[in-house]
Amino acid sequence: MMRSYSEITKKAFFRNTAYRSEVWLRIFGNISIVFIQVSIWTALLGTGSLNGINIETMITYSLINTSVSMILMNKVIYVVDDKLKTGNITLDLLKPINYPLLLFWDQLGNVIFQVIFTVVPTILITWFLFGLTFPTNPYFIVAFIISLFLALVISFLIGYLVALVSFWFLTTFALDWMVTALITVFSGSFLPLWFFSDGWKFVAEMLPFQFLGFIPAAIYMEKINIDEIVWIIGKGTMWALMLWFVAQLLWWRAIRRLVIQGG
Amino acid sequence: MIYVEGLSKEYKQFNRASGVIGTIKNLFSREHTIVKAVDNISFSIEQGEAIGYLGPNGAGKSTMIKMLTGILVPTSGKVTVNHLVPHKSRQEIAKRIGIVFGQRSQLWWDLPVEDSFELHRRIYNIQDKDYQKNMDIFLDLLNLKEFITRPVRQLSLGQRMRAEIGLALLHNPDIVFLDEPTIGLDVIAKDNIRNFIRQMNRERKISIFLTSHDMKDIEEICGRMLIVNKGELIYDGTVEQLKSNLSASKIITIEFVVDPGDAVVLENAVLVNDSGIRKTFRIDKGLDSAIDFVQNLSKRYPIKDFVLQDSNIEDIIRMYYRSLEKDNSTQMTKQEKLSVIY
Repeated sequence: MMRSYSEITKKAFFRNTAYRSEVWLRIFGNISIVFIQVSIWTALLGTGSLNGINIETMITYSLINTSVSMILMNKVIYVVDDKLKTGNITLDLLKPINYPLLLFWDQLGNVIFQVIFTVVPTILITWFLFGLTFPTNPYFIVAFIISLFLALVISFLIGYLVALVSFWFLTTFALDWMVTALITVFSGSFLPLWFFSDGWKFVAEMLPFQFLGFIPAAIYMEKINIDEIVWIIGKGTMWALMLWFVAQLLWWRAIRRLVIQGG
Repeated sequence: MIYVEGLSKEYKQFNRASGVIGTIKNLFSREHTIVKAVDNISFSIEQGEAIGYLGPNGAGKSTMIKMLTGILVPTSGKVTVNHLVPHKSRQEIAKRIGIVFGQRSQLWWDLPVEDSFELHRRIYNIQDKDYQKNMDIFLDLLNLKEFITRPVRQLSLGQRMRAEIGLALLHNPDIVFLDEPTIGLDVIAKDNIRNFIRQMNRERKISIFLTSHDMKDIEEICGRMLIVNKGELIYDGTVEQLKSNLSASKIITIEFVVDPGDAVVLENAVLVNDSGIRKTFRIDKGLDSAIDFVQNLSKRYPIKDFVLQDSNIEDIIRMYYRSLEKDNSTQMTKQEKLSVIY
């Protein structure tokens, strides 16, 4: 069984290689984002610091946050949306395979491709241009890897849930727009959660979006108390389980009302 | 192996009002009508049988396939495939069925054809020995050799369909659903595919469930055909039977000088198409009565010209579809509809 899923990942990886020019555009795009953020924070912070955050910290933060955003899977919405619109979902449903898992492993192929061909080059170039700090405590390194995995799973589940909702509306654009906005704000990609006011910080901590950027970056930078990490990772796991549960529930309802478009 | 009893599927179809006001109205309230895509259909299919499922566009053919494969839940009625209820055991049934949609592709668009086969092998968990055996056969019979290493997007439609069919049969399914597999193909490619499907059906006892608008597909592959219209099953029998019922009959198209109107009602003749001064009749008792028919008719109405032809299945089906369209207003009973065929 595992063999079939890993084969899907492999094929998805190679599918990406068909469009190589995109790689260069993405690397260029990423570096632009980091550059813009670094410029803004240089203007704001100068040589000083705010809440214990200085410009070096913000460079690392921007890079990690941007990199994590590159591996998020919430765009799985568009895969499902396209399949619903064209009716090609039929073909996936006729395979003796679990549909959400098929989607996940397919997305994983894209992510692996992104990591190798855009994230790693982006990090290397940014490191060269702006400098970068690395975590030293192995405890944080392990926690960081776990948090990356949580970011994958939670972003996938959010995207998948929205896709399931589109079984009812047969359109996803507005929903994805909303989710993208929520991720942009609450994953801290505009503004780290450190700078949020208490009220908004509370809201951000109640939502799963902080796991899609802020948490991995904060762990990487060792900006979270060591005894808090277990609690935070536990919270992320709870989110993943809860989203999975809701997704399963919606899936059973969605499949009952599935209307396959086009003949 | 397939058992269907009293199966129905209804869709809600939303009525969209047009115009600006209508569009605004649609945002808040939506009226719907119930459309019966499949209406109380019963039949069963044995292992190794080849079924042609025929009907005009919108007759509910795809809906039937989707219910048989478990991706649509029936509104009412019973359906089992291999003793399992499709929508409850979708993944289980999926292992034993193969699917080809003429209008969709299972192949990975950007990857070489062989990659799709490789993936299929993993997903269906095909033993190496079976995989090798089938690949050897398909490479040869479907002539996949010439393009197996090429990306799918570079294939011609004929090549792609050959690959699709090979893929659908790779895991030795018990039944293959073919939804218009020869659509858009040239004559040679069609022949190629028909021969292959027929061979698989005969040699491997794979059941075939074929929908097509090409009567030749059905004549050449299927022993039995089901004809549906507006969701209802209106013919279930052998292709031979349908042919022999029709073989004695003649189709005669008469051009009148003036339109005699609906008044033309004659014994031994069925009006199958009426376009004013041109009317087409079917005469069930061979050539002699056809000549009698023309003679009798010409005594009463002046005739300009007439064409006599043997009826083949395709013509009859075509006229049959047309007559069904007309019957929309005047509701015919099922028996009456059948009488057009028999």
